[in-house]
Amino acid sequence: MRRRLPGAVLGVLWILPALVLITSLILYPVAYAIWLSFFDKHSFFPAERWVGLGNYARIAGDAEFWDSLWKGVVYAGASTGLQLVLGLAAALVLHQAFRGRTAIRALVLFPYMIPTIVAVIVWRWLLNETYGVVDDVLLRLRLVREPVVWLGVDHMMASLIAVSVWQFTPFVVVSLLARLQTIPLELGEAARVDGASAWARFRHVTLPQLRAVLFVVVLLRSIWMFTKFDTVWLWGEGAGAGREIRTLPIYAYMRTFTYYQAGFGAALAVIMFLMLMAATLVYFRLFWGEEDAA
Amino acid sequence: MIGRRTLAAALSALVLVLSVALAEAADKKVIRLWQTETEPQTLAVLNQMAAEYEKTHPDVSVKIEGLAWGDLERKLTAALAAGAPPDAAHGQPITCVSFAAKGLLRPVDDLADSIPKDNLVDAFRNLCQWNGKTYGVGHSPASSVFVYRKDLLAQKGLKVPRTWDELVQVAEALKEVRDGQVVRWGLTMTGQPLFINIAVGELLRTNGGRLFDAEGRPTLTEKPVLELLDFYKKLGRVLPPGWTGHSYLDTFANLANDKAAMLYQAYGRGVGYIEKYAAKDIADPDHFAVADKVVGPSGRTPAAQLDCEPWMVFKDAKGGPEAVDFLKFFFQDENYVPYLHSVPIHLLSIKKSTSRNPRYADNAMIRKWRPWVDMQEKYFRNDWIKPVLVTDWEDMKKPYLLEVMGSGILVDMVLDSVKGVPSAEAAARAQKRVEELLASSGYLKK
Repeated sequence: MRRRLPGAVLGVLWILPALVLITSLILYPVAYAIWLSFFDKHSFFPAERWVGLGNYARIAGDAEFWDSLWKGVVYAGASTGLQLVLGLAAALVLHQAFRGRTAIRALVLFPYMIPTIVAVIVWRWLLNETYGVVDDVLLRLRLVREPVVWLGVDHMMASLIAVSVWQFTPFVVVSLLARLQTIPLELGEAARVDGASAWARFRHVTLPQLRAVLFVVVLLRSIWMFTKFDTVWLWGEGAGAGREIRTLPIYAYMRTFTYYQAGFGAALAVIMFLMLMAATLVYFRLFWGEEDAA
Repeated sequence: MIGRRTLAAALSALVLVLSVALAEAADKKVIRLWQTETEPQTLAVLNQMAAEYEKTHPDVSVKIEGLAWGDLERKLTAALAAGAPPDAAHGQPITCVSFAAKGLLRPVDDLADSIPKDNLVDAFRNLCQWNGKTYGVGHSPASSVFVYRKDLLAQKGLKVPRTWDELVQVAEALKEVRDGQVVRWGLTMTGQPLFINIAVGELLRTNGGRLFDAEGRPTLTEKPVLELLDFYKKLGRVLPPGWTGHSYLDTFANLANDKAAMLYQAYGRGVGYIEKYAAKDIADPDHFAVADKVVGPSGRTPAAQLDCEPWMVFKDAKGGPEAVDFLKFFFQDENYVPYLHSVPIHLLSIKKSTSRNPRYADNAMIRKWRPWVDMQEKYFRNDWIKPVLVTDWEDMKKPYLLEVMGSGILVDMVLDSVKGVPSAEAAARAQKRVEELLASSGYLKK
């Protein structure tokens, strides 16, 4: 007769694959990075020297760190804010019934679906001040008197924010559109019968219904933009002006792979992690309520 | 429907084929080489060379991968960090010294000795030495060159600039404005970080300056550096406003497409772009001429960057001896000449005998663009060329130049200056950062 495994053992076995994955892919790298941050370690030599909080003390006095932090905040703040405003506007438009809506909904997703490297190469080409289409159009329309140097020191951050907004707004659109489609039509109709204006209906009916989704979207997009590496790196890659967009993830990468200071780089990564944790906690404390959980 | 027997037979055949293939692969020693010549015709020559080598060495499989020049150090670092470096790779001379000092490389005296010392072009005998051993042998040397449009200078009655100030004046005079728009800039330069590092070393040498003193302490607050930063401020006024975002290839495009009249950091590779993109009636050295590099106010002689990546063999590479053997094969003229001809004006010979070989000289591009080759050889002869960030050959004993280059501190210093930070302040800031970098890496006592 075959013996059946006890329920508890069976339960552990069921979750074991997930536990192994989470431990090896998330917990171990995080723990390793924290451990590494207490050492002076070269990037490709096994030898390491315990420095305790030495790397953190150096970071506190490192002007490059503060500069990168500021640039990261500007980039994440501006790009997330614009994604929200434009994403919400686009979602409201796409929620309306009009001819060709399905095709446009599919089209709106396009920037989010193409690989980052393709998006960056295409946009760098379009924005090139010598032969790019964007400046050419602006000049022909006499909107500018001379080409705008989008990829130079003065506009590097602005152009990066614009491209990031183009690339990531579809995520906001899709998230909000999905929620908009589940809001009972009767709510809006009732408000309309009561004489509420379009703005009032949006302000007092639609927006409260979107609150929970907006909460998650703001949280995720802020974290993702603050830790964004690929778009930022590729945008500044190969250009001296790239330092205008040297955000914290880029600086951590540089410390690890071009200064060869793996311990210092790990400490920067840990600081980023702690800052995001703290910001998330504050965000939950300020904006998350019982009604959201419901 | 496919029957069980058919399916079983097909699966057995597949297993058999895979087993044979795997067994064959297991018998072969695979050697991996990373190199920076990525043009399709060069890769074709190298792959052909590998195929020829494999014919006489059936137990070896040679895999050659092309890497973009600017990516090389980062990819090598990542591979080393992962414990999986290639068997051999190109590297900047300072990368080679840095890796040799860290004990990551296998000495390649056996490869160097296969080329008699008096057959090596003099300037490249000691390209990568550490503790009396050779760790790198350059695949082919080149020098950066200064290119100008001879016809445009003649039209405006301008003389070829010889000093920094003259370069700025001529660039200003060559600027062409039509309907309020600049249609041709007088000068183009790249803002790519690697090339800013190169330019800083190169320009500093033309100004009699240095980056480090004999004790290895940075010297960024010295007069020649401050003059260099002042010069960058002036250049910022005559270069295209987006120059800090222009890549190395953008500047070739600017020159070949008549968007710029002079290119300060050109290389022999540029003739390929001129031949391809410039108007046919001007795509020749009578229009795209080369001249000595301009000299700074505190300097006396021109200077240029030595573009000559040594082949390095990694200590932990399983196929080290085989890689060296393949590289000896690479340097044999029947293989080496087609390699050099794949980018004729850029890939010059590191062996004197090859330069004299009639087969090497028998190339239409070399005949046509001879002044470009002569100019580079003039730099070699006069020892006006040095690797990136090296202002004196003694600097090649400093194992930390790779870290200084990778940190981007010198690039930041130049950009600070271009953005209007007073030169002394930008230099002092960079000086402090380099000192901190070297001290924290254990190279400099605080």
